[in-house]
Amino acid sequence: MTFDQARLHEIEARCTQESPPGCQGVCPFQLDVRAFLAAMTEGRLVPARRILDRALPLPGIMAAVCDHPCEGVCPRKGLGGSVAVNKLEQACLAATSPTRIPPQPRKKFSLAVMGAGLAGLVAAADLARKGYSITLFHNGEPASLLCSRFPVLADSGALRADMEALVALEVAFAEARLDAPLISRCVQTFDALLLDADAASEPAPPPDDVDAATLLWHDTVCCAGWPSLNAAGRVIPEASRQAGEGRRAAQTLERIVGKVSLTAERDKKPGVLHVPLEGVSPVPRLEAEAEGYTPDEAAREAGRCIQCQCLICVKECVFLQKHKGYPRTYARQAYNNASIVQGFHTANTLINGCALCGQCERLCPERFSMADLCRSAREDMVERNYMPPSAHEFALEDMESACGPECALVLNDIGLDKGGKPSWLFFPGCQLTASRGEQTLELYEHLRSNLSGGVALTLSCCGIPAQWAGRRADFDRHAAELLRQWENFGRPTLIAACASCLKALRSALPEAGLVSAWEILTTLSLPPGRRHYDAFALSIHDPCAARFDAAWLKSVRALVRACGATPEEPRLTGETTPCCGYGGLVFCAAPDVAAEMSAARAADLPHTALASCIMCRDRLANQDKACLHLLDLLFPRPSMSDTQAAAARGPSFSTRRAGRAALRRRVLREYLGRQTLERPAERLTVPPQTLTRLEERHILLEDVESVVAQAERGGRYFENLQNGRRLASSRPRHVTFWVEYSRDGETVMVHDAWMHRMIVPGAGDAGTTPGGRHETGQTPRENMP
Amino acid sequence: MSMAPDYPPDSGQWVCGVCRRPLEQIKMQIFYLNSAFDVSLPSCPQCGLTMTPKSLAEGKMLEVEALLEDK
Repeated sequence: MTFDQARLHEIEARCTQESPPGCQGVCPFQLDVRAFLAAMTEGRLVPARRILDRALPLPGIMAAVCDHPCEGVCPRKGLGGSVAVNKLEQACLAATSPTRIPPQPRKKFSLAVMGAGLAGLVAAADLARKGYSITLFHNGEPASLLCSRFPVLADSGALRADMEALVALEVAFAEARLDAPLISRCVQTFDALLLDADAASEPAPPPDDVDAATLLWHDTVCCAGWPSLNAAGRVIPEASRQAGEGRRAAQTLERIVGKVSLTAERDKKPGVLHVPLEGVSPVPRLEAEAEGYTPDEAAREAGRCIQCQCLICVKECVFLQKHKGYPRTYARQAYNNASIVQGFHTANTLINGCALCGQCERLCPERFSMADLCRSAREDMVERNYMPPSAHEFALEDMESACGPECALVLNDIGLDKGGKPSWLFFPGCQLTASRGEQTLELYEHLRSNLSGGVALTLSCCGIPAQWAGRRADFDRHAAELLRQWENFGRPTLIAACASCLKALRSALPEAGLVSAWEILTTLSLPPGRRHYDAFALSIHDPCAARFDAAWLKSVRALVRACGATPEEPRLTGETTPCCGYGGLVFCAAPDVAAEMSAARAADLPHTALASCIMCRDRLANQDKACLHLLDLLFPRPSMSDTQAAAARGPSFSTRRAGRAALRRRVLREYLGRQTLERPAERLTVPPQTLTRLEERHILLEDVESVVAQAERGGRYFENLQNGRRLASSRPRHVTFWVEYSRDGETVMVHDAWMHRMIVPGAGDAGTTPGGRHETGQTPRENMP
Repeated sequence: MSMAPDYPPDSGQWVCGVCRRPLEQIKMQIFYLNSAFDVSLPSCPQCGLTMTPKSLAEGKMLEVEALLEDK
């Protein structure tokens, strides 16, 4: 497995979405202020009260005296003023009855609290709620110290109610002199003791004498609740700090009697919740008309809470939204997916749905990388043989074809002597050649005519699909072949026209000089046939693989300007650009997510778009977004106006393959004078809607052709006596293809096609085709689930 | 859960192209990812050529394939 629990925690920690918001973080009782305010906003006062009563040991007293540090860190502070949390607490308490919290079973330990200051009372309330027997020693009236420190409490109903609650929790009040002998007696009589430093100031140690983290003074004695003194030596109460110390000391007393570590797993500091404030408009704090908020005023004031969340990455990524969580939950799902022994790998779809584009990492203040997470999870799935075969097979076969004898080619510059070493090697990439063969050759010719030292040409795939699919060994094998070719050419500088190729080649050929075609073009005289616009605004769509390639980004804009057009930057651009849906093989493993990604991006580009990656161009155009490729500006196709070029849909998978093969044939013909025969094919007529369906199902025309050819050769087909249609199948690899067709002389009309991965004996001349992990081995009989 | 094991052709009157015999529902096992399932499919009773109806391929079969791939 690629990551263990420790690694998971390390990854999870980078996503702060589950971290408490600032207000909760600074509250000594970790009050879930966000949830409280959400309930208040909706006028759900009873649930709001429940949140207060569960978190606050003395709700009435705390609401009256708290110096509300939560309001100090409220992000609303600069946007109309902090939300009036404290006044809202008071409004809630005034409008509701106390929540009945069922008492916990009595525990066998007896604890003493010396002093009825705020810390002492908080500790007494906390511990009594948990079932400990508490004796609270006080000097004079139990509430006298509190009333003198916080005059607002004198004769208040809140004070009375909270003191009565302590009595109801069976806290025993005992009047005593709070001195050193009492400490000794308590140490002997009770299991542990808390000294309230405000109430029992005389025997209490100075703060520096106790452990800062646990407030342990010595043996079983803690001390808490020191008041602050001003310059004149006057006591300044600090309710939140003193009360917080009371809770911390109470937790230590529990650990003392429970005989567990006083420090382990304590005071863990969660990451800071990042709260983006873009788009939050200032709204002034609502002041109550009379004393205290009315329920309506309270709802309005609570409604100013922005409900702090991070979700910076989720907001911008269709894929992250699709799975209804955020990176932290996804990391756990990926971990569980890898750990599962029996049952279903429920996160396969999640892991294979990421475009690995790196946008989230760029946007995240903590640099959480879904790409790293999903890529390593995919590698693990491949290594341990549980990657779904259907996830990437089609794309990997496409890669194989692009590197295979029909499409791939290595050509030295024909202007060099035999065995001459070129200074440059142009690597246009398998998708540009698939979609724009003619323009690729024009670009190649332009480079040859303008660069000295000779420019060789490689038609192949860079191998990135293997990397995206988690097939590192396949990528390395392919990289070794590219390295061999590059060495044979005498280590020329590589020129790539695809951002993903550049990335893959950087990793495959780390010693090679690498440059984008666009960067090179900015250093050469510009193509004479280029467009000359007059301030034509184009929304730049950068390829995600180039987000950190400053030279790529700059050159594209320079070339756009050189053609007289005006590059306009969309909201997300350059480093923050989103993926078009092709990256990470999402188009193959999760086509619906990929289509949503393209649509979302298309909607974010106000003008005609300008892409510098052909897959981006074709995918945006397939969403009916007018989109040009940079080559359409530099080497415009004479047969097309800009409007036509921008509107033209991208070629189908089948046309792409055919386009690569056609380009290879043309290069051989034009540069080497070699004629190659086109593979003989059945003459197919495929209605447009059937073509669309084939595309959706990843059925290539060559698959259809081979089914028909095979069937017609051997007569192995079914015939429908009602309409004369034939139905035949073939299983060339791990998929059985079915084609329903009819013949009219030499022409074959394709009516429908479908496929399945299951092996059906007697269908597709198969049932016996071995290969792949799953087509061999034991086959226990089951009922279809 | 078990699947209804009988999957006739979606429509039409089909015969085997070679044997010219009408198809019959023949019981057989189909396989995927180390699992086997009993089903009845339209087959030529003479040569055994077997049909996978589209509704099966794009319905239950696809569902089971996806399930087994995540197992």
